[in-house]
Amino acid sequence: MNFGIVVFPGSNCDRDCYYVIKEILNQPARFIWHQETDLNGIDCVILPGGFSYGDYLRAGAIARFSPVMSEVKEFADRGGLIVGICNGFQILTEAGLLPGALGRNKGLKFICRYVSLRVERNDTPFTTEYRRGDIIRMPIAHNEGNYYIDNPDKIRNQVVLRYYGENPNGAIDDIAGIVNERGNVFGLMPHPERCSEKILGSEDGLKIFKSIVRAL
Amino acid sequence: MKKVKLIYEGKAKRVYSTEEDDKFIIEFKDSATAFDGLKKAEIQGKGEANCAISSKIFELLTIKGVRNHYIERLNEREMLVRSVKIFPIEVIIRNRVAGSMAKRLGLEEGRKLEKPILEFCYKSDELHDPMINEDHISALGLASPEELITIKDTSLKTNQILIEFFKLCHLDLVDMKFEFGKDSSGEIYLADEISPDTCRLWELGTTESWDKDRFRRDLGGVEEAYNEVKKRVLETPVESKTRILIRLKQGILDAQGSVILNALKSLGFNEVLEVRVGKLLEIKLDRKVDEAGRIERMCKELLANPVMEDYEWEWIEE
Repeated sequence: MNFGIVVFPGSNCDRDCYYVIKEILNQPARFIWHQETDLNGIDCVILPGGFSYGDYLRAGAIARFSPVMSEVKEFADRGGLIVGICNGFQILTEAGLLPGALGRNKGLKFICRYVSLRVERNDTPFTTEYRRGDIIRMPIAHNEGNYYIDNPDKIRNQVVLRYYGENPNGAIDDIAGIVNERGNVFGLMPHPERCSEKILGSEDGLKIFKSIVRAL
Repeated sequence: MKKVKLIYEGKAKRVYSTEEDDKFIIEFKDSATAFDGLKKAEIQGKGEANCAISSKIFELLTIKGVRNHYIERLNEREMLVRSVKIFPIEVIIRNRVAGSMAKRLGLEEGRKLEKPILEFCYKSDELHDPMINEDHISALGLASPEELITIKDTSLKTNQILIEFFKLCHLDLVDMKFEFGKDSSGEIYLADEISPDTCRLWELGTTESWDKDRFRRDLGGVEEAYNEVKKRVLETPVESKTRILIRLKQGILDAQGSVILNALKSLGFNEVLEVRVGKLLEIKLDRKVDEAGRIERMCKELLANPVMEDYEWEWIEE
C-alpha cells in the first residue's frame, strides 16, 4: 500500500497529507515532484491542496500541463485510486478526470472554516469507513469552491459529499465532493488531512485515508 | 466544402460554386499566358505557389483591416472565398516605373515615383483591357462614385501594407494589379489573387525580377522564381494581435458583476440593469503558420474553461 503525493510549485498541503499517512496510519508514502513521470509502485495518488502555479488563469488550469499529469491520467485509466483535495480537485476537473468546474465562491471571499457535510455514498474506495448519511465536520479553505456543472442530474449518482445545513460557496446541488463514473477518482473541496487527529479538534477526515488503506 | 459547378475559367484560375451561395472555391492552375494569350506555358508548381502566397497575403490584409474575399485555404491549390461579383475594372498601382508605363511614356524602368500612381483598365480580353479614367467608370456605370472611393482607398492602403511586408521578404513591390467585387449586400471586397502573377517584385535594391516577367521576358528560372517568392513570403513572420474576451456563461451567477451593479446603483447610476465581468487577453502572434482555427484551439484547450465560460475573439487592427 503505497501513497504518492504530487508536489506542484505552490502546493502547500503536501506535508500534511504525508504526515497523516506516514505518522498516523503508518503507511509508506513518497512525494512526487510534478516533473517526475514515474508512478511505479504507487497504489494511490494524492493531489494535495495549495495554489499550484499561483492559481494563474484559473485555479488548476496550468498544473494539468505538468509532466506528471499525463502519468496520472494513465494511472486513472488503469483504475488506480486518485484523490484530489481542494486545489487537487480543481486540477482534476481542469484535466477532465472529473466532470464540472470550480468557480469563484458566491460571496467572493476566501473561506477558511469548518463546515458540515453529509456522506452521500459509502460504497466508494474512499468512504467505506463512513455510514451513508453520516454528518461530519471538516475544514474548507478556498476561494474557488463553487462547483458548477450544466446538468447536475447527470452526475447525481457520483456525488459523495454534500454541504449540510449551509452551502458556503454557492456550489450547485450543495456538491462538496464527487467521484468519476468508474469510482476510482475522487475530488473534494474540504481538507480531510486537516482533521485526522484528535489534537486538531476533529478526526472526521481520517476515515477517508483509512478507507483507502482498506480498499488497497 | 465541395465544388459544385465550374462558373469561370481564366488563364490561371478556375472558379467553382459551392453548396453555399455565398462561397466560391478558387483553384490555381499551373498554366501561364502573356501578351493576351500569344505566349503560353505550363509552369510546374505555379498554382501551388500562388495559392500559398495569396492565402498568406490575404490573411495579412485581414489582420490589417483590409476587407477581402479570402476565407481559408482548403488545400495546396484551392482557397475558399466569399462569392462576389467582380467589377469590370482592373486597378493598377505603381510605385516605380516599369512595364507598360515605361513603354507608353518612354521612361526607363526602375525610376521611383514621387507618389503611388493608380490606373484603371476596363476588363475586356477582346479590347486588350484598355486604360480608362474615373470619369469613364462613373459615366459608364462601372462603379458608383462612392464605390470608386472605397476601391481607391483600399488600393492605396493595401499598397502601403504590402510595400512594408515585401520589404521584410527582401523584395521591392514595383507595381501590382487588383480586382474588386461586391457581395449581395453591396459590401466591397478586394478579390482575385495577389501573387507574382499580379505583382511585379524585384530583389530589393536591384532590378532583378522575381515575378511573371521572368516568363514574359524569357529570363529563365521561372519555376524557381515562384518557389523563391513562396518561400520568402511563407517564412516572413506576420505579427498580429488578437483580443480574447472570456466571460462566465449566461445563466451562471456572476457574483463580482452583482457587487459592481450594486456599487453603481449606490452612486446613482440606476439605469444599470446588469454587469458581467470577464477576462480580456491580448495575444501577439507570429503568424508564420497559416492554419485556421489555432486561436479557437487556444481558447478551447486552455484559455477558457468550456464548462462555465464563453469566449469570443477578434483581430486587433493596427
